[in-house]
Amino acid sequence: MPAPFDTVLIANRGEIALRIQRACRGLGLRTVVAHSEADRDAVYVAQADQALCIGPAAPGRSYLNQTALLFAAEVSGAQAIHPGYGFLSENAGFAERVERAGLTFVGPSAAAIRTMGDKVAAKRAMREAGVPCVPGPDTALPEDPDAVRALARDIGYPVIVKAAGGGGGRGMRVVEAEAGLLDALALTREEARRAFGNPEVYIEKFLLHPRHVEIQVLADSHGAAVWLGSRDCSLQRRHQKVIEEAPAPGIDPALIAEVGERCAAACRRIGYCGVGTFEFLYERGAFYFIEMNTRLQVEHPVTEATTGIDIVQQQLRVARGEALAFAQADVPCRGHAIECRVNAEDPATFAPSPGLVTGWRVPGGFGVRVDSHAHAGYRVPPHYDSMIAKLIVHGTDRADALARMRLALSEMRVEGIATNLALHRELLDDAGFAAGGVDIHHLERWLAARSAAR
Amino acid sequence: MNQEQIKMLIDAFAASDLSMLEFSENGCTLRLARRGAALPAAGGEASAPVVAAPVPAPAADAAAVAAADDTTAAPPPGPAPTADVTAPLYGVVHLRPAPGEPDFVQAGEAVEAGRTLCVVEAMKVFNEVHAPRGATIASVLVESGQEVDAGQVLFRLG
Repeated sequence: MPAPFDTVLIANRGEIALRIQRACRGLGLRTVVAHSEADRDAVYVAQADQALCIGPAAPGRSYLNQTALLFAAEVSGAQAIHPGYGFLSENAGFAERVERAGLTFVGPSAAAIRTMGDKVAAKRAMREAGVPCVPGPDTALPEDPDAVRALARDIGYPVIVKAAGGGGGRGMRVVEAEAGLLDALALTREEARRAFGNPEVYIEKFLLHPRHVEIQVLADSHGAAVWLGSRDCSLQRRHQKVIEEAPAPGIDPALIAEVGERCAAACRRIGYCGVGTFEFLYERGAFYFIEMNTRLQVEHPVTEATTGIDIVQQQLRVARGEALAFAQADVPCRGHAIECRVNAEDPATFAPSPGLVTGWRVPGGFGVRVDSHAHAGYRVPPHYDSMIAKLIVHGTDRADALARMRLALSEMRVEGIATNLALHRELLDDAGFAAGGVDIHHLERWLAARSAAR
Repeated sequence: MNQEQIKMLIDAFAASDLSMLEFSENGCTLRLARRGAALPAAGGEASAPVVAAPVPAPAADAAAVAAADDTTAAPPPGPAPTADVTAPLYGVVHLRPAPGEPDFVQAGEAVEAGRTLCVVEAMKVFNEVHAPRGATIASVLVESGQEVDAGQVLFRLG
């Protein structure tokens, strides 16, 4: 049950730990930062009301150590735990332990996380709520080979076999024709059993040129839910988003509103509380639900820019049991926002580049926001993912936002380690991206063409 | 004398033009000598430092001690053999493929060229480190799970 709290334990690291800390401080909440040995010098650790080292650098022994985190909450007197993204943010078992300890998990209920974590159950729940889904059954595949072949034939090739326990691009395999179906099925099942402890797989139509478009939602514990607009995150490499923007360009706002309304309705129907994202594939004017993320997302700032709503503060407010203070009609969509994920990696080879940042100059000015925990003298640890900053710009329209991002990228300098800033500069000059509406394979095609040209 | 100290001494010795170094502290003595110097060694030309037995050897220094058995190993064939295997980048070294499994290699083991010796993980990317040539693993200078700098010596080859 939501309960008022005045102290929040931040169970995460890096830029999102700082982002959550800012939201807490903005609301007058105390912050307790649980950090690993590798992050003890982080700026948000120094700024915390209390900081507790919960273990060594390896995530399994610190940020994923549920017992250590619960103990840190107990000894610090924190009544709520914010999981951020990644790590334990979508771990239903952890949410349950937090609830059982009498604390508030800043996120949806363990039951909601569990339902949405099972991609088959999620699809079924969304179909029941009237959210459009990718063609294919919302049940796990049967064992009988003939039944599977019949299902695939009904859907029409190519199809994609997905693990119910997967998501985020993991545990899936495309099948072009019937000859490859049963082998793909067996392989995916075995991988799913090993990786997710759940051998259930399901089958869907494989869309050839979709865009990745998602809807941000926000729901309180009193049955109210709103959607906060759309984002386009089609620029991806190996299922990792590189650039995101809001709103999704070139899609009829009336269609987005219809889908957004169904997402909000689905939240009300399943009693969802907190922030969440409905991810869709968008192809030829139609939306197809793929999965729901039951947590704050990396790219939430672009939606903050276009709505003027502090999503993390709202997330904390609804977790405290407050009712939403605004209605759907109060949610604007102003201008256009773009986010570039700045990673410590080689811009050509993508080889990771942890190490000491010797020079750090961030851009600024009207409509420019940088979310980062890094600074000159900061040592990027090799133990975690490579994102060190998010560069977000807001403009009156997409062309204005693009121009502002090009300027911001030209100002930003990071020395001592390699970053993908050079890649971002090139991408902002790509005619396809500048035109808007590229599909999820655009970046990989662009990279292949670039390496062929060199 | 702890392992860190021993590693530091080995590095300092390797960087110097000394042919022998003896270091005593709290009743422990570590003696380092180059091949062809004071200790009987087969490879006359190789300039790789060889770790002689510390006397008495504290149990924690097993990795360094293990190398002492290899001082008589035959020098590998081929021109200008490299004696060290270094970390390709800053990261976390893993000496075994998965927890609970045996190490990729053991000190004293003979390996063929290209054999995976360890994995250096950085930001969820796993970089395999291979043997540059056929050789004997003279010593393993790191512990699994430890952070290593780019260029840091991971293994000494015999």
